[in-house]
Amino acid sequence: MELKIMKSNDIYIIDVNGEMDLYNSYKLKDLVIKMLDKKVNKFIINLNNVEYIDSSGIGALIFICSTLKKSNLHLYISNIRGSVKKVIELTKLTGYLPLAGTVQDALELLKKV
Amino acid sequence: MAKMILKDNNHPLFNTDQMFYKEFPSDFRQIRYFTLLIVQKAPPEIKELNLLEQQISELIKNAVKHGNKSDPDKKIKVWYYFSQEETRLIVEDEGKGFTKIDEWNDFNAKRQDCLKNNDFEKLADYVAYTTEDSDYHDGGNAMFAALEFWNEGVVFTEKANCVAVGKTYPRKQKGITIGD
Repeated sequence: MELKIMKSNDIYIIDVNGEMDLYNSYKLKDLVIKMLDKKVNKFIINLNNVEYIDSSGIGALIFICSTLKKSNLHLYISNIRGSVKKVIELTKLTGYLPLAGTVQDALELLKKV
Repeated sequence: MAKMILKDNNHPLFNTDQMFYKEFPSDFRQIRYFTLLIVQKAPPEIKELNLLEQQISELIKNAVKHGNKSDPDKKIKVWYYFSQEETRLIVEDEGKGFTKIDEWNDFNAKRQDCLKNNDFEKLADYVAYTTEDSDYHDGGNAMFAALEFWNEGVVFTEKANCVAVGKTYPRKQKGITIGD
């Protein structure tokens, strides 16, 4: 799994590439925690290039979502598709996780906050 | 009735007739590799092979990590069967067993209530099932998805160190005529 950070004004986009599994999902949590120290408050996690996710990956998304919610920070998770979408649906988290269709959709939503 | 994890030594999902068998050491680093060794027997017609792999990997992970505590001297035993219509899997470890099944079912029932009522505030308390055994890497959500995915059931033995699961796939339409 590879994580790239892009920036659009005050919004930070984390582009996740590869597989979010039991061996590497903690890296996304660690990255977000580091970004919180730097006072980032608007996040997009783009999952367009993620082909595989397991319960650890889902756990990382839940952890990030819950942590940001508690601090009233803003997050959208974009471009869930294929088996990633399926696992999120099976876990019944489509209503809990802040999902956006595309990065562009997420940017529009975050510009309003 | 709401879906639950069952405990039943005599459940038909524990019937190992016609099933393949493999055993693996409890090597945490190789969980996904062991899973691939099993999934390679699945017919290519099965859709969403990635999802099947992930669901099998979760059960192997639970056995290696939570059951056998990644002790390399302890084995996990896996029985598996694949056809275009059905997948069945049994995973056994040498651990103390998943003793908190009742507690888990109770937790899951409360989670289902939150989902039914669209109560996402309260759902926050039920998105992950964790125990003193859980660590930073555990999502605590694998078995919620397992109950949905394995539509023939998720059943443990009374000792609860052995789990059997099954999934049936909708039958394909037959009898398509090509040409005259």
